[in-house]
Amino acid sequence: MRPVPRTLELFYDVLSPYSWLGFEVLCRYQNIWNINLQLRPSFIGGIMKDSGSLSAMRFLTAVNLEHPEMLENVSRELWMRIWSRDEDITQPQSILAAAEKAGMSAEQAQGLLEKSSTSKVKNQLKETTEAACRYGAFGLPITVAHVDGQTHMIFGSDRMELLAYLLGEKWMGPVPPAMNARL
Amino acid sequence: MRPVPRTLELFYDVLSPYSWLGFEVLCRYQNIWNINLQLRPSFIGGIMKDSGNKAPALVPRKGQYMANDLKLLRQHIQVPIQFPKDFFSVILEKGSLSAMRFLTAVNLEHPEMLENVSRELWMRIWSRAAEKAGMSAEQAQGLLEKSSTSKVKNQLKETTEAACRYGAFGLPITVAHVDGQTHMIFGSDRMELLAYLLGEKWMGPVPPAMNARL
Repeated sequence: MRPVPRTLELFYDVLSPYSWLGFEVLCRYQNIWNINLQLRPSFIGGIMKDSGSLSAMRFLTAVNLEHPEMLENVSRELWMRIWSRDEDITQPQSILAAAEKAGMSAEQAQGLLEKSSTSKVKNQLKETTEAACRYGAFGLPITVAHVDGQTHMIFGSDRMELLAYLLGEKWMGPVPPAMNARL
Repeated sequence: MRPVPRTLELFYDVLSPYSWLGFEVLCRYQNIWNINLQLRPSFIGGIMKDSGNKAPALVPRKGQYMANDLKLLRQHIQVPIQFPKDFFSVILEKGSLSAMRFLTAVNLEHPEMLENVSRELWMRIWSRAAEKAGMSAEQAQGLLEKSSTSKVKNQLKETTEAACRYGAFGLPITVAHVDGQTHMIFGSDRMELLAYLLGEKWMGPVPPAMNARL
């Protein structure tokens, strides 16, 4: 029987470009390594002083609560806006545009936008961010790997080879073969 | 005819544990890749002052992270690095000016010894195991005296300023001169990227066909 996949929690904020890099590499490896990748939208403003991403991260928190299967795509579209096309992510229209580009209907996106300002979603984001802090985060991204009863917190997106070593997996560079390019 | 080796300048300070890690990995690759590795002893205190940056350990969580990170990297990179017991005293009070002046003197008079002596200093600060670097007591004493001459002080100052001009806000930095371009890479965790820039093969931090030096 196949061994139990190891859980990797990726705490990220779309304001953080290195979060994007770590996210893409881990997404590529999630079907290569024996891991269970859990995306954890967080708020970097709760860890450091940058705060421009509050609405976007609340939106992603709502997505994660209601349609977790869409979280990867919507996260990516927000990064594409801010860190590829230099577009806004603070205004409601910006967030809706990203959600629709990710494949969400306008109604779905609007519904989630409204849910973003409920206490449930605000508190969830707060809790996720606090979890990152309890793991020792001083910035984002952090990857928390649960391996053989131990927990390792790794900061940044440039330690994937070390992560592979901890997992006993093979590192094949940032663009592993046998994966279709998603971008 | 074999293409001209690409120059890599490694600016480092023995106070910096990540400098040690970068140093060991690049030393392993200097006879594998087509590179000319130039060691450039620098003074991290000067870089921090010039850039307005602060030592990461001054942020408590960064200090905690560093302690854990180095434990993992010790195994992964196979360098016997150990957090000093009295970290604050060693790193933040004593500093590294004399050590880096000494290495500057070594580099001026016996550059062939620079790698070994640098390693020995890191071993003293960042490892329990210390070895002899192979220098005679007289040699060492002579260099120690030279360390406080203006020539050596100025050389260290110039090297540190060169790092600042390359854009350093900390150490280590590796400056790669490739195809007429200059790339400054900070830290010791971008070696795969460096390989990519050089068009060389990255074989992990402990490449095969290299005798372990430690």
